[in-house]
Amino acid sequence: MQVTETNAEGLKREYKVRVEKDEIDQKVQDRLKEVGQQARIPGFRPGKAPMSILRQRFGKAVLGEVLERAVNDSSQQAMEERGLRPIQQPQIEVESFDEDQDLEYKMSMEILPDIEPVEFSELSLERLKVQVPDSEVDEALERLASHHKDTQPLEEARPAEKGDVLVVDFKGSVDGEELPGMSGEDHHLELGSNRFVEGFEEQLVGAEQGETRHIRVTFPGTYQNEKLAGKDADFEVTVKEIRETQPVTIDDEFAKKFGEEDLEALKQRVREQIENDYAGLARQRVKRELLDKLSESHDFDVPPSMVEQEFQQIWHQIQHDREQGQLDAEDADKDEEQLKQDYRDIAVRRVRLGLLLSEIGRRANLEISQEEMNQALIQEVQRHPGHEREVFEFYQNNPEALSQLRAPLYEDKAVDYILELANVTEREVTTDELRKMIEEEAGASGDGDEAEGAGENKAAKKKSGAKKASGKSTAKKSGGGSKAKAKTAKAESDGASDKGADSDTSGES
Amino acid sequence: MSRGRIYKPSQVKLSGARMYDLVREPVITEKATMGSEHNQVTFRVPLWASKPEIKAAIEGLFSVRVKSVNTLRQNGKVKRFRGMPGKRPDTKKAYVTLEEGHSIDVTTGV
Repeated sequence: MQVTETNAEGLKREYKVRVEKDEIDQKVQDRLKEVGQQARIPGFRPGKAPMSILRQRFGKAVLGEVLERAVNDSSQQAMEERGLRPIQQPQIEVESFDEDQDLEYKMSMEILPDIEPVEFSELSLERLKVQVPDSEVDEALERLASHHKDTQPLEEARPAEKGDVLVVDFKGSVDGEELPGMSGEDHHLELGSNRFVEGFEEQLVGAEQGETRHIRVTFPGTYQNEKLAGKDADFEVTVKEIRETQPVTIDDEFAKKFGEEDLEALKQRVREQIENDYAGLARQRVKRELLDKLSESHDFDVPPSMVEQEFQQIWHQIQHDREQGQLDAEDADKDEEQLKQDYRDIAVRRVRLGLLLSEIGRRANLEISQEEMNQALIQEVQRHPGHEREVFEFYQNNPEALSQLRAPLYEDKAVDYILELANVTEREVTTDELRKMIEEEAGASGDGDEAEGAGENKAAKKKSGAKKASGKSTAKKSGGGSKAKAKTAKAESDGASDKGADSDTSGES
Repeated sequence: MSRGRIYKPSQVKLSGARMYDLVREPVITEKATMGSEHNQVTFRVPLWASKPEIKAAIEGLFSVRVKSVNTLRQNGKVKRFRGMPGKRPDTKKAYVTLEEGHSIDVTTGV
């Protein structure tokens, strides 16, 4: 076997490999012998047929097989000898091969750059520790309470006010046509909750019990149901009952509703949850800081094809967002070229960090155990209620998708690993300070990159977005229809938004 | 078998078409390939073929020199089909020994 390097530019490598025909011939013979042991040829007992006949019968097939293996083996060997680590399977172009000829092929690939991670102990990072003040816990409790208001029928008749809950029957029509889903009976509607189309609730303020009102509203252009978007609709609403909301007292009784012993226990739980949220935020911040530092202190070439791939992924997402009309405000006034350039930079950064982290992980022998994988899978599955089965199957049948699940896990582990080694100082801050800091930083680095801490997260999110797209398509097939699709899309955006905001404890009930 | 005898070309003259009639197919079996070690090739020939004719045909078709021809008749098996006795046709095989340095590659066909 002869290997000659024909091109070594940047991270690209090209080789010309030549395998002598004797070598191949020998392999063919061996293989033929193996085949001959089993083959049934008329006139011969199995395993007794002479080589010449075997060659005539199976020669071509075996040759193809052997060549393929020879190419694989030799390319593998060539790479090993040179200690190359390609980012993906090398591209192989066979130039000549035949029965009595040397095998020649060209092999081109991109290799992983040599990465020399910095000494982690030189990194100094700051980890914020948050003390959750009691006031915050109380606030959360109150919010919780407001979601579980009791209502009571009015004792004295009076017109409806904001905050009241009306029991209504309603019937709606667009252009005189009644559509499904636009009518309801005994619907509990809280005025001011903005659950209905804008203007609907406002127009009910002042209604008396038993009164029937005609209401005219305009559906917003971005309404989920395409048929209704942007249309005017008439509603006929009968107010059956007006109920007054009762302020809820936060006490042991209240706590019991949530399955806790007493108020203290509930408080404890709420506090824990808040602490968790802040810990998550703080972690994100540290991670971001770490990634910033890492990307500052490393500068190596990045394989262009990987960047291109990442960029395509991002760009695809952007296009998708744009179609939905939800482009980042900051991007709106940039032109196409500028946008592309920006996102390409992000892609380079992401690929670089990704490579770096995986290199660090490799050096540290980090591994993702099967258990962790399963956990992640279960989490992912639970995010699609109603489609658990399909999502699960999707992952089972797609090892590639599974490896996408693995990526964020691995990344987290690598980050943890570095954090352990790095010089981390802890600082206590109050919740407000933390929030302010994060906001400031997000504003400062701004751009589509919205705080790099989330940057990597965003990558993960984006990836999961892509996955979901495929998951969704399976969901759609299963008959969920466009409604289900809209729902998942909504859930998705919800999930994305509450990550940044201080989260609501009411989710637990 | 006299080893040192001088090669005598066949006396029989055959037309081209008749040569092809004489040599039907090579016999490719384990037993036949055993002969290849002694420079022997085996053919199936018609029952009426004679040794000199076979020699002439082989020499004509494959451009080789034939040392000797041994023939044998193989009786067809008696088979029953729906209880009725039947018989497969008899065949004749010719074991053709070639002069040293000559060979026929039976696997490639005529």
